[in-house]
Amino acid sequence: MNYKSIKIILIYIATFSIAACTKQLEKKPLESIDAANAITTPGDVESAVIGCYSILGGAQLYGTSLLMDGDLLASSGYCSFVGTFDQFRQIAARNMNRENTDAARVWRRAYQAINMANIVLESSSIVTNPSQKSTFEGEALLIRALMHFELVRFYALPWGATANNDHLGVVIRTKAAKNETEASLKDPRSTVAQVYSAIINDIDAAITKLPADNGVRLNRYAAFALKARVLMQQGLYTQALSSANQVIQSGKYKLNPSVNIVFDNKNSAESIFEIQQNEQNNAGQTNDGMATFYGSLSGGIGRGDVRVSSTFLGLFPAGDNRRSAWFYIGIGARPGGNNCFKWKSFSQNIPIIRIAEIYLIRAECNARLGTTVGNTPENDLAQIRNPLRTNLPVILNPTLNDILLERYLELGLEGARIHDIKRLKISTGTLAWNSNKLVFPIPQREIDASGGVIVQNPGY
Amino acid sequence: MRKLMLLAVSLLLLCNCLWSQTKEVTGKVIDSKDGTPLAGVTVKVKGAINTTVTSADGFFRLTNIKSNASTLVFSYVGYADLEVGFENSSSVSMVAVDRSLSEVVVVGYGNKVKKDVTSAISKVTSKEFQNLPLPSFESALQGRVPGVFMNSGSGKLGQALTIRVRGISSISAGQQPFIVIDGVPVLSQAIGSATEADNPLASINPDDIESIEILRDAAASAIYGSRATNGVLLVTTKSGKVGKTKINANIFAGFSEPTKKQQFLNAKQYRELFTDAVKNSSYNGVFWNQDDAGDAFLQLTGYDDWALNPNVDENWADKAFQKGYIRQYSLSLNGGDAKTKFFASGSYNDQKGIILANRLDRANGRINVEHTVNSRFKFGTNISLQNGRNFRVPNDIAFTNPLQINALPPIQPIYDPATGKLNPNTIYYNVLLDNDATSVISYNFRTISSVFGELSISPDINFRTQASIDWNNLQEDNFYGKETQTGAPSGLGYNNQVTSRIYTLTNTLSWRKRISDKHIVDALAGTEFQNGKIKSGSVEGVGFPNDKFTKISAAAIIDFGSSSETEYAFVSYFSKANYKFNNRYLLGVSARVDGSSRFGVKNRYGVFPSVSAGWIISEEKFLNKSKALSFLKLRGSYGRTGNAEIGNFSSLTLYGPQAYANVAGIVASQIGTDNLTWERTDQLDIGLDFGFLNNRITGEIDYFKKKTKDLLLNFPIPNINGFNAVTKNIGTMENNGFEFLLSANILTGKFTWTASFNVSTYRNKVTKLVAPILPTGRSLGRLAVNQPFGQYWGKMYAGVDPANGDALYYRADKSTTNDISLANDTIIGNPNPDYYGGFNNRFSFKGFDLDIQCQFVKGVDVYNMAGLFQSVNGDYYDNQTVDQMKYWRKPGDITNVPQPRLFDANGGSKSSRWVQDGSYFRIKTVNFGYNIPGKWLGSRLHLDNARIYVAANNLFTFTKYNGYDPEVNSGAAGVLNLGHDFYTPPQAKTITFGINIGL
Repeated sequence: MNYKSIKIILIYIATFSIAACTKQLEKKPLESIDAANAITTPGDVESAVIGCYSILGGAQLYGTSLLMDGDLLASSGYCSFVGTFDQFRQIAARNMNRENTDAARVWRRAYQAINMANIVLESSSIVTNPSQKSTFEGEALLIRALMHFELVRFYALPWGATANNDHLGVVIRTKAAKNETEASLKDPRSTVAQVYSAIINDIDAAITKLPADNGVRLNRYAAFALKARVLMQQGLYTQALSSANQVIQSGKYKLNPSVNIVFDNKNSAESIFEIQQNEQNNAGQTNDGMATFYGSLSGGIGRGDVRVSSTFLGLFPAGDNRRSAWFYIGIGARPGGNNCFKWKSFSQNIPIIRIAEIYLIRAECNARLGTTVGNTPENDLAQIRNPLRTNLPVILNPTLNDILLERYLELGLEGARIHDIKRLKISTGTLAWNSNKLVFPIPQREIDASGGVIVQNPGY
Repeated sequence: MRKLMLLAVSLLLLCNCLWSQTKEVTGKVIDSKDGTPLAGVTVKVKGAINTTVTSADGFFRLTNIKSNASTLVFSYVGYADLEVGFENSSSVSMVAVDRSLSEVVVVGYGNKVKKDVTSAISKVTSKEFQNLPLPSFESALQGRVPGVFMNSGSGKLGQALTIRVRGISSISAGQQPFIVIDGVPVLSQAIGSATEADNPLASINPDDIESIEILRDAAASAIYGSRATNGVLLVTTKSGKVGKTKINANIFAGFSEPTKKQQFLNAKQYRELFTDAVKNSSYNGVFWNQDDAGDAFLQLTGYDDWALNPNVDENWADKAFQKGYIRQYSLSLNGGDAKTKFFASGSYNDQKGIILANRLDRANGRINVEHTVNSRFKFGTNISLQNGRNFRVPNDIAFTNPLQINALPPIQPIYDPATGKLNPNTIYYNVLLDNDATSVISYNFRTISSVFGELSISPDINFRTQASIDWNNLQEDNFYGKETQTGAPSGLGYNNQVTSRIYTLTNTLSWRKRISDKHIVDALAGTEFQNGKIKSGSVEGVGFPNDKFTKISAAAIIDFGSSSETEYAFVSYFSKANYKFNNRYLLGVSARVDGSSRFGVKNRYGVFPSVSAGWIISEEKFLNKSKALSFLKLRGSYGRTGNAEIGNFSSLTLYGPQAYANVAGIVASQIGTDNLTWERTDQLDIGLDFGFLNNRITGEIDYFKKKTKDLLLNFPIPNINGFNAVTKNIGTMENNGFEFLLSANILTGKFTWTASFNVSTYRNKVTKLVAPILPTGRSLGRLAVNQPFGQYWGKMYAGVDPANGDALYYRADKSTTNDISLANDTIIGNPNPDYYGGFNNRFSFKGFDLDIQCQFVKGVDVYNMAGLFQSVNGDYYDNQTVDQMKYWRKPGDITNVPQPRLFDANGGSKSSRWVQDGSYFRIKTVNFGYNIPGKWLGSRLHLDNARIYVAANNLFTFTKYNGYDPEVNSGAAGVLNLGHDFYTPPQAKTITFGINIGL
């Protein structure tokens, strides 16, 4: 072999190997899917719908923050945060700063859920089965509404803070961001009135699209139930009454005979919508999750960070089963305080709306309006105070205050309290219902990232 | 048999006959200075093909020499070539040339004589770090090389070190240098699941290494293209040497302890402080009975130790530590003849760390072989096998980090007096429980191996091909017993298998020509293909029968499992050329084209060129007579490098899976950009190399300026669109600095003293960002335009109001306030050093030798983030550092520690209160040995050499820093948060005794 032929071989090898190599630069990710191929079949659209629920279930939303923050903001005489997490200590102290990390994560995730819902809505044309298409769209619309609702309740002064509700609400998002340009849009906050209007529009659309039964996912009655909750926040009692009545009249839901079943069992009769969790997929076991913060149980469950105030516990009538079933003296981490037994297991489902609240809404609306749509406030309240359930006597001719107290006790430590304080225009400690301190700061990074298009809340 | 004998005899006769027609020459080669025999000297007959090398005792013998030959040519690395007539060959004395300049340095895809180098390259040879108790090989560079700033981060074994060559050149992409071992680009990033990066280099045996070259400037590193911005470390392992087979055995063993322990309050002090904290708290009488410290403790912690344990006084902090040890056994063989050379080694190293449960051991084997087939072709292989095992410490922020135990109050007993067992009823997790029932072990199996062939196509042209693999398997095998925090309530087992495989194929064609005495040129062209893949699979189980069962086969519930795979590829073409004119003017150019799968389709290939020039001024007539100045070279270079250490798929828009209870959905997880490409750095270097007094004093001065642009940043986009950020090439950054190295042979003769001093600076400045990246949570590091990377940003602490004990902070107008929300955010520190360097001294006298290496860092700030809990005048029940006893007690007190007020956060928010000067001077390594004289060894023991020694690591540290260790970079704090200390363990002080035997 002479050198010429060696050289030719070498050149050949070099060229061949490089030509083959250039193709090697096309590497496809295997753990994620390129956007172009991600949503191409009806099954993919359903995956995107489930993706929406998975975001809702994260610790940043219903897995922890949306519920716990609703309790901590109402801390006076109700609960306290005795853990080390500064962001939650700030919330419980109603002294947040612009960098509060929990305010940042709720904002971010809520809009991630909204975007995912918008992606579903924009790709639903792939779905050929009309009822399936309608269901997916209904779920997406309701999730979009729900997230706008949570955002506006936490990040804006409450409904009623100005006469026409033209104070700043949150940014309304109804288009999906699928590329860099769309993902970089900067839009200002709409007014509270506009946001509520968008929420109601979405829920109404969802009601027409959702089936009566949708497994453990959102159905038409969940839409009615959530609509009732939104309308209550707006003080629109007649309409709220109507929505609540729809849910009850459906006959799908009834209170469990024992108060812990809705927290112990998954998808019990009482539950209208709950976040699904299991051993592997849950909001967290050490630094996040409802049981993590609220629990102080043996076996290392819970940090015992959220304590229940004895003032609140003192409101329970003597002998109320709920007092003993839902509250206990901590025996795990930070023992010795009062802890809430609603949150006891990392893998438990998290009820977001249950029929008890709907009965309470109907009773409250009827009491306020002097009507008996569906049933009397007395009978509706008796559902809650069912002796089997609570070991309490029925209240004859309950007053509005009786109903509101019942609501406070029944829904305690489920995140509802601060929103009730705001809609009832009462105070928590020294803070009035419309105090700036009870409104989350818009995350500073959002103000920066939007170049100031999104403006900060007063007081920050 | 008889026939065979006959054949043999006739053959012998035949040989004799042939000999009689030719000549034979024998002789011995010695060093001109001390007469020691030189082994491995190449001896050639001029004008003929006869070649041999000298034996171990310096002898050579050449036979079959043509009768007309008359001259021998001797050549040997480090010595001047010599021609000697046959008549004078019986004893040839070769003269060593000045090694500092004839020294050969490894450069990208080749070697070069140091004198001709036109770029900034440093070399550290094995001589400087052998037999030291190093935690990992790259730690040998600390303080020895200008321009390389290193921080060990913590005293945890097997944790990654921070290595910054010439400043910090990236924000979100890698900042560590590119590491190439024997031409094989290797994995140097962690692949495990732990938050704090483990160090895959820790399993490499430092004793196998011959030299480490650090390519600092662009001219040296641009040949590595898109991965060279952070500098390049070229590691060369030992190779066989011609001559007698040498066997070297080395054993050392020693012990280690923390370089420092911190002092915390004892029970008496604790009670004193918290009694006051309770009284002064605004919650006094609200959460607990008025002025009742015992009740306060009970109400807030749920434990009654204050009242029940009046006599308990525990030193929890000390329990985080244990007495460490180190031991190492190693054996190597090396030798060869003119055709085949080999190096083989095996070693076992076992280190028990100073932190509870921490241990690292490794076993290594290596064989490097090179065989010359004929004058045109040679091939070789380097094969190494490594097996490491790391008993890991949890990350700093974990409650299970042993050092967090210092938060426990001295009034809580370590052992429950009732049961005699470890007390589980403590305000924070009693991590000692972990020690009994936890094992967190990373097993590491690795081979870095290559084969190469070299073909000499013509006397000037060489073709080399090398195929290599870096295969690294990490197996994390963790078990947490049911009593432990992680394992509760029924035990938890986790197993994670990660395999990283990088294969590289390199082809180079090199050409070297001495056109005339005045013109010397060399050039090289090559291609390289690299593919890296990481695959992993993991499983977690809970529900174990008891702590005796630790494998997941015993778990009742498999609660987590996963597998993953990711891949990247590089295709590269490169070329370089050097020209030397008249032995004094040097010119070099290089260029590399890199293509990578990591980058957007619109920006897949990049070009990385460099140019350099040198002028050996001392060769000029006006200087070559100078007696004082023996060498002077001015050099300069300019070039471009890249940084491709970003995610494998950062340019794509992606959907990822996300589970929802029993089903999984997809979520939009990333917004991509097709233009995404590498970060580019343009670097200027100007250097001066000098030698005085016949090069007894040598040195280098360098100035560099690096401008990095297209820094990959997560450009924050409004969350309202569903995403947090998009990765884009946006930022720019600058680094410039000086490097100074001075070495001197201060004393020669019987008592020798050589000293080397280096000092370097870097000034980092971020010049373009999307927006300042502000510190989050408890950390302080930020990025802002015209400010250095990781600058500390926050509220400035102003001490204590003597009137009322309030903590004060500065407002924007420099007035003070006790309301931290009224104070303004400002610059409160800089974690980048003013300067850093090393000072090394080596002494020898008769058989004794002493090597002392010191290392220093000046003008660096350190932030003790744990101060928020442990030095906060009793804001919560964490035990406090003793300095907190200087707290304000009565009006008029002048102190820096505010009045204790339990739960009131008086001085308890993040501020400059815990920022301190972290400058330090450290006697890094000391190695004192005695070489047993040859006369005792040779005759009786048949040894070539024997040395006994004592060595130490981190012997003394001088610093003003109050925390454990000023050389700190908590791995849990994130890359932006430099110099953050969060219950970070100090480094170990290690002392070893060893013996090294050669035969």
